[in-house]
Amino acid sequence: MSPGLFAQSLVLGVLTGGMYALMAAGLTLIFGVMKVINVAHAAMIVMGAYLSLTLFRHLGIDPLVSVVLLVPVFLGLGALVQWGVVNRLAERDITLTVLMTFGFAIILEGLQGAIWTSSYQGIKTAYSLESFRLFTLYVPVVRLIAAGVSLVLLAGLYLMLTFTSLGRAIRATIQNRTAAQLVGVNVRLVTTISFAIGIAIAGAAGPLLGMLFTFYPATHWLWIGKLLAIVVLGGLGSLRGAFVAAMLLGIAEQVTSVTIALDWAPMIFYVFLFGVLVVRPQGLFGTVERQSL
Amino acid sequence: MVLPEGFYLDLLMFTFMYAAMSVGWDIMGGYAGYVSLGHVGFFGLGSYAAALLLVHLGLPVFMTAPLVGLMASLLGAGLGFISLRTRGPAFVIVTLTFTYVAQLLMLDLKSVTGGSQGLFLPLLDLPANLVIVPFYYGMLALLVIAILVSIAIRRSKFGLGLIAIREDEGKAEASGVNTSLYKILAFAISVWFAGTAGALHAQYLNYVDPDLAFELIITLNLIIMSLFGSRGIVWGPVLGAFIIYPLSAYLVFLVPSRVAGQVHLAVLGIVLVLVVMFLPDGLIRSYQGWRTKRPKDGRPLEARASIVETAG
Repeated sequence: MSPGLFAQSLVLGVLTGGMYALMAAGLTLIFGVMKVINVAHAAMIVMGAYLSLTLFRHLGIDPLVSVVLLVPVFLGLGALVQWGVVNRLAERDITLTVLMTFGFAIILEGLQGAIWTSSYQGIKTAYSLESFRLFTLYVPVVRLIAAGVSLVLLAGLYLMLTFTSLGRAIRATIQNRTAAQLVGVNVRLVTTISFAIGIAIAGAAGPLLGMLFTFYPATHWLWIGKLLAIVVLGGLGSLRGAFVAAMLLGIAEQVTSVTIALDWAPMIFYVFLFGVLVVRPQGLFGTVERQSL
Repeated sequence: MVLPEGFYLDLLMFTFMYAAMSVGWDIMGGYAGYVSLGHVGFFGLGSYAAALLLVHLGLPVFMTAPLVGLMASLLGAGLGFISLRTRGPAFVIVTLTFTYVAQLLMLDLKSVTGGSQGLFLPLLDLPANLVIVPFYYGMLALLVIAILVSIAIRRSKFGLGLIAIREDEGKAEASGVNTSLYKILAFAISVWFAGTAGALHAQYLNYVDPDLAFELIITLNLIIMSLFGSRGIVWGPVLGAFIIYPLSAYLVFLVPSRVAGQVHLAVLGIVLVLVVMFLPDGLIRSYQGWRTKRPKDGRPLEARASIVETAG
């Protein structure tokens, strides 16, 4: 692999990785507070892509504008679903909660197919195919925009978690739910808010996914695999880990598609996923799960 | 024995197949309490393994099916080794992603599997109206084996160990149960039925491709059947399969064919969510509970807390 080609893969990998980080952030946040894998996470992102596609086709609303429109809608829906059904179940039985999110994923996939058919879709704006040259490197405009939007949103999330009292409460709940409750954190409310934020991020990622990739109802199985590889490599529940892992895997994917074959690029995620589970189940930034208090 | 004809024969055969796989799923999901989201991965790989053995080596599927099941078990043990040594969410993650990996492999290994073109299997040398018969008895035999295995496990020390793992893995380990080994073994047994059923199904269709072999709806059906009938009871998944499969098959006729598959998926998803919310204990256990009028959730607080700790 020539240095030029490697540099090109690096650029594309980092730009795509930024968006992967956004998609994985919600998944790892929800796992952090609830200890539940939200199986429907990618299906929700794809739902965001479909809604953005419809807004663009019928009302001419740019996908970047629909990012702003979808965030409050997904935030509200996330809070409603968490407060209404998920939380009640989660306090009784985690296994059933996982099965419920599996059910959500399937309902979303079926609905998307019934409404938008199962053919391939993509959001093609006027600037979809534009690109520019930076020295010898080729930079597609949509990837740059997606990475930029993702970084802005992730920075906002980071600032909120670091400097606000809500952020402190969320981090405390992630670290030790019981201890957080003992020092007066309303963990139920914090869980609902965190879940809602996670879903809102999924909603924001939807239009970006739709601009960069083609999608169809069953694509969420590909994406949930990629996202799980990212959050497991980064360490489940760790936002910082998810960010680093998203970049690493974004680059690894580009390098694989150039050096081996495009068809095999998704496989690199699973190689990492299974490899990390064998060698270091807690991931890069995770801590070994404590068995009891 | 007089066999019902045509449609009903097909319906019964598929009901046996689903019942057998559900009983298998329940050995892991019901007894040990670890729910697999990837059983169709073993079903699909079983289909491919049987198809390849027939196409390349000329070995008949009815002979190789149990061995194909064993291959699935070995693979299951391998995945179990990756994901079942600890308690965390690894098992959910691995089973969830495994189906997609398996599908991708069958799609990408074009030279062996034919990629998206799939593989055609030679037809059985039987008259058209009798061709269903071996499949009918094959799936029935699989169901009988599944029920016998499940009963044997339920009555053994191994089964007690699995139930102890479900109720409180920490205490099970402390009282001398080799939890990792038990879970891996249970998963290996559990997927044998999916692999074997997949093998027979490939010959039934005389064709296998990545979409047909790895239909998500199969995993979904197994979970709903076990939950609806009652998890962790031998006859629970059987009852669930005999109720859910005919209804599910009937549903396909009700909706316009253009969107039938999609609507079918959405409706089954809704059924899963409803069962999880309103009938998590399943028909048999709820009926028993109603008969003895015990409190709705009679488990002591400790046991509940341990479930939250261990599963995920």
